[in-house]
Amino acid sequence: MQKRTRKQLALVLTGAMAMSMMAGFGASAEESTSDIGEPNGGAEVTLWHYFEHEADALNKMVKQYNESQSDIYIVPTYVSRDELMKQYTIGAVSGELPDIGMVDSPDMASYISLGVFADITDYLSDWPDLEQFYPGPMASVKDADGKIYGLPNNSNCLALLCNMDILKAAGIENPPTTWEELREVCEKTTNPDEGVYGLAMCAVSNEEGTFQYIPWLYGAGGDITDVDSDAGVEALTYLSDLVKDGLMSKEVVNWGQGDAYNAFLAGKAAILESGTWQIATLDGQDADKVNFEYQYVPMPKNGDNQATVIGGENFGVCAGSEHVAECADFLKSMMSAQNNADWCEIAGKLPVRGDAVELKDFWTADARYKVFNDSMEFAVARGPHESWPTISEAVYTAEQAAILGEKEPADALADAAAVIDPILAETPIAAQ
Amino acid sequence: MKSTIAAKRRREGYLFILPGFIYMLVILGYPLVYNIILSFKNVNVKTFASGTSVFVGFQNYIDLFHNDTFLLVMKNTFVFTIWCLIFQFTIGFIFALFFSQKFTLSGPIRGMVLVGYMMPMSVTALLGKNMFDVSSGVINDLLMKVGLASSPIEWLLNGSTAMAAVIAVNCWVGIPFNMLLLTSGLTGISQELYESASVDGARWGQRFRYITLPLMKPAILSVLMLGFIYTFKAFDLMFVMTSGGPLNATDVLGTYSYTLSFKQYEFSLGSATAMVLFCCLFVIGLFYLRLISKEDD
Repeated sequence: MQKRTRKQLALVLTGAMAMSMMAGFGASAEESTSDIGEPNGGAEVTLWHYFEHEADALNKMVKQYNESQSDIYIVPTYVSRDELMKQYTIGAVSGELPDIGMVDSPDMASYISLGVFADITDYLSDWPDLEQFYPGPMASVKDADGKIYGLPNNSNCLALLCNMDILKAAGIENPPTTWEELREVCEKTTNPDEGVYGLAMCAVSNEEGTFQYIPWLYGAGGDITDVDSDAGVEALTYLSDLVKDGLMSKEVVNWGQGDAYNAFLAGKAAILESGTWQIATLDGQDADKVNFEYQYVPMPKNGDNQATVIGGENFGVCAGSEHVAECADFLKSMMSAQNNADWCEIAGKLPVRGDAVELKDFWTADARYKVFNDSMEFAVARGPHESWPTISEAVYTAEQAAILGEKEPADALADAAAVIDPILAETPIAAQ
Repeated sequence: MKSTIAAKRRREGYLFILPGFIYMLVILGYPLVYNIILSFKNVNVKTFASGTSVFVGFQNYIDLFHNDTFLLVMKNTFVFTIWCLIFQFTIGFIFALFFSQKFTLSGPIRGMVLVGYMMPMSVTALLGKNMFDVSSGVINDLLMKVGLASSPIEWLLNGSTAMAAVIAVNCWVGIPFNMLLLTSGLTGISQELYESASVDGARWGQRFRYITLPLMKPAILSVLMLGFIYTFKAFDLMFVMTSGGPLNATDVLGTYSYTLSFKQYEFSLGSATAMVLFCCLFVIGLFYLRLISKEDD
């Protein structure tokens, strides 16, 4: 090769290398600059979380704790959810973990199994408050032997959010309460010329997709242990028919929950499968975009069946922390009845303990929160199971295949069952 | 005496390459060996922390080649690479020939074509994701305005169109890369050759066929090799633009390996997938090295 060519080639390759290295930065953790109190002389411990609009409330609580004692000084750091999950996995190998970490409840079982979180059972054994926690969220912080690795922080679930302006314009006075009524509302409100669909939901290829599918699966009387039962096929057929008949956009397979919410907010959908946390954004950052009347109703009934899904976040103390006892104390304080109630009110979430709900009438006085609070009666937990990510992938893959029309719902679910059944046969989901 | 001096010089030579060698050993050798070992064990969410993983021989590789998703991913990787190479090489070559003509502004315009190559891939991928959006993407908007499509095309919702979309976006980056390397090959050809060929009555086509192509052969081969290596190990484009979807239609070895390791905690299967990727590239790399050394002789 010519000398000059080689030189230029070298230059180009060096440039390319430099570029690809630069692309690698950008994803680092973002140090919190908010007021968390002056250093109190205690050892600095890190807390990683992915709260966004809730971050101020978290910082306020951390500040209170930092000022109340001098054993540890807590520094919260925001890390995006995806990045945080990756860091836990890498940290399981390298040992570089925060002292306290936040985790989405269905993922906790995997991280416990990977050794990311420390066993804090001994620090909690004489804590009388423990029995106040609801069993569903509590199950997600335990391993198969019942050892405790963290505490649940908040719960949420899904309900239907209806744009009453669109419903009334179509001659519908009341939001749907059954699957048939929902289908009818979708038929009446869908307007292809305006790009308005009846229902918007999230069927994206990650945990969010499974989260939004669970209410339909269980609402039909189905179960994760038998996804391809008749009830399971009925649920998936119901959703894929909505898409096939043009009542729901096919784009739901690329929509995260935030994207579906934005489509609803833009008036592109009459009804949204919406989560508790979205009330806070409707009141807060998107208040000026809500120029329509809306109403929350529970997930619709199918015959006698009705279901929704439990979401929520846990906090755990990471393995390898030098301050496990102190961090466990912080978790106890953070999740005390009063703190849990205060925090959930500010952040727009549901408390994880019964006595916290009784402290305020927030969850019963506000009709919107009442819908979610009441829905917890028939809310279903995901897992806990260490292989939940694999189970979840099988579920959302089947859902996508049916919605995109690649497979018949029954065939898609049979494929999912072929993945899920052997996993659950080996290790069943722990009873709660 | 002479031989000891030579031996001393040789020892000094080894001393000089030692830092580079150690660097390679630590930065490249260690992860590679670690990955190879991992791919022969059964490390997953169950065996990771308990340390109960054992060597399972080629079981991971056997499992992979019996897995329909993996076979689809393999196919996707080759389809993606080959179509990208065809388009970016052809168009890049045409651009290189075009800009080698000395016309006003040929320099600055050539520079502007390079912008695509200079952007971080994640930015390019985000642009692609938005441009190919069904309802709000500029591409559907344009197609419908000029009457090429009557209804929005569901680019990223169908397997084949999603693949076409990622290939198009990757070519946007690949074309300037090919153009750049081919241009430097072109400038290396002496103008006198063309002049004397013209005097002998050779037409443009003949000059291209009998002068440009043979003299460009080394440049062309290395462009194709490097293009193959870059394209075959694609990751960021799919990761950001399609997440490998819809239904694994744009999943390639790089993204699939990531999914297995970091989403399903099947670390050993993920490593085995990465090893398959590595082996494919290793063969191409050997071929490339052979080619260069032949040219040097």
